[in-house]
Amino acid sequence: MKQELAQKLVQSLKDAGVNFVTYLPETRLSQIVPLMRDDREIDLIAVANESEAVTIAAGATLGGKQAAVYMENTGIFVSCYSLLTVGRQLGVPLLLVVAYLGGVADLRNSFLYATIGRHSIPVLDGLGIDHQVLVDGDKLETQIKDAMRAANSLRSPYALLFAGEFSE
Amino acid sequence: MIRYECLELLASKISDQLVVTSQSGQRIEWSHLSRHEGNLLVGMMGCAIGVATGLALALPHRKVIALDSDGSVLLSLFNLATLGNLQPKNLVVYVFDNGVYSGSRISYPTATSGNTDLASMARAAGIKNAQTIGAFEEFKKAGIEALGKSELGFFVCKVEESLLHREIPRPVTDLAENKYTFVRYLERTEKKTFPFVGRG
Repeated sequence: MKQELAQKLVQSLKDAGVNFVTYLPETRLSQIVPLMRDDREIDLIAVANESEAVTIAAGATLGGKQAAVYMENTGIFVSCYSLLTVGRQLGVPLLLVVAYLGGVADLRNSFLYATIGRHSIPVLDGLGIDHQVLVDGDKLETQIKDAMRAANSLRSPYALLFAGEFSE
Repeated sequence: MIRYECLELLASKISDQLVVTSQSGQRIEWSHLSRHEGNLLVGMMGCAIGVATGLALALPHRKVIALDSDGSVLLSLFNLATLGNLQPKNLVVYVFDNGVYSGSRISYPTATSGNTDLASMARAAGIKNAQTIGAFEEFKKAGIEALGKSELGFFVCKVEESLLHREIPRPVTDLAENKYTFVRYLERTEKKTFPFVGRG
C-alpha cells in the first residue's frame, strides 16, 4: 500500500471517530501501524491473538471509546468465538479493519492465501457480520464513516475487507 | 477456601468499581450477592479478562475488577502476555481456581489440578503482582488490599469445588439489558454520552 493511501486510511478512521484500535500486525496494511502509534488521538493496543483484540476493543467500546480492530482475515477465523459471543450476542459495535488476503482482488494472492480468502466472507456471513470489500481509496472517507455508523446502529461488529490498491 | 465467602467480602467493598465476570458459578453467585449497576455479567467463558482490560484502558481513572475461573483463563492464556505488557494499573483480576470444570457436571479436572500453576505463568508473562491465595485470611489481606493499589493485580484464589451456585437463583437479567444498565451507569457517572447509545 502506498504511504499516501495509508495516511488516508488512518485519517478516515479518525474522521469516523475511531480513537481506540487493537491490532495484530500483518503484511498488507501494516503501514498504518506506525501512523497510528504516532497519533495522540488513537490509543493503539498490541495484542497476542485476534480473539482478545475483539474482547479488549469491546471493553473499550463499553467504556465509551469508538473502537476498531485491525487484523488479517486469518484473524476472523481465530476470533470467531469472541466475535459471536461478545460482538454479536452481547451486541457491541466494532469496526473490523481486515486485510483481505486471498480475495480475488488481493494483488499478492497466491496458493498460500487463496483458501483463506475463499472462506472469509462465508464465515462473516455465518457470524451475521455485515461487510464490504474496498479495493481503492476513492470514497474511503465516506465508506469508513458509513461502516462505523452501521456498526453503531446495528450494535454489532461491521467488517471492511481491504484488497486491490490496499494490497499493493 | 470457599468462593462464595470471598465474593461476599468483595461485594461489601464495591462502590464505584466496574466488575466483569466470566461464565461460571461465580457469575451466578456474584449476581446474587451484588446488584451493583457497574456489574457486567459476561455470559461466556474466556472473554472477561479481555473485556475488563478494554474497560480499564478506556477508563484509566476507574478501578476495574475481573472475576474469572481457571477454565476461562486456560481458554485464553494469550491474555496473560498482553496484560504483562500493558500493565493496566487500575485492573485487578481474581481467578477462582477450583481445579475442575464444574459446569460440566462431571467435575472433570482442569490443568491446574495437574501441573499447571497460573500465578507462575502470569508472573512469567510479565504480571509482577501475580500470586496464589490459598486461605481466606490471605484473600482478606492481599486480595482486598489490591483494590486500593495502583498496580495490576492477578490473584489465583484456590477454592474448593462448590455446587452452591446450583442452589441459588440464576440471574434473570438479559445480556442486552445488563449491557445497557452498565453503559447507562457509566454515562451517568462519567458524565458523557457514549457513541453507540441512543439516536432513536
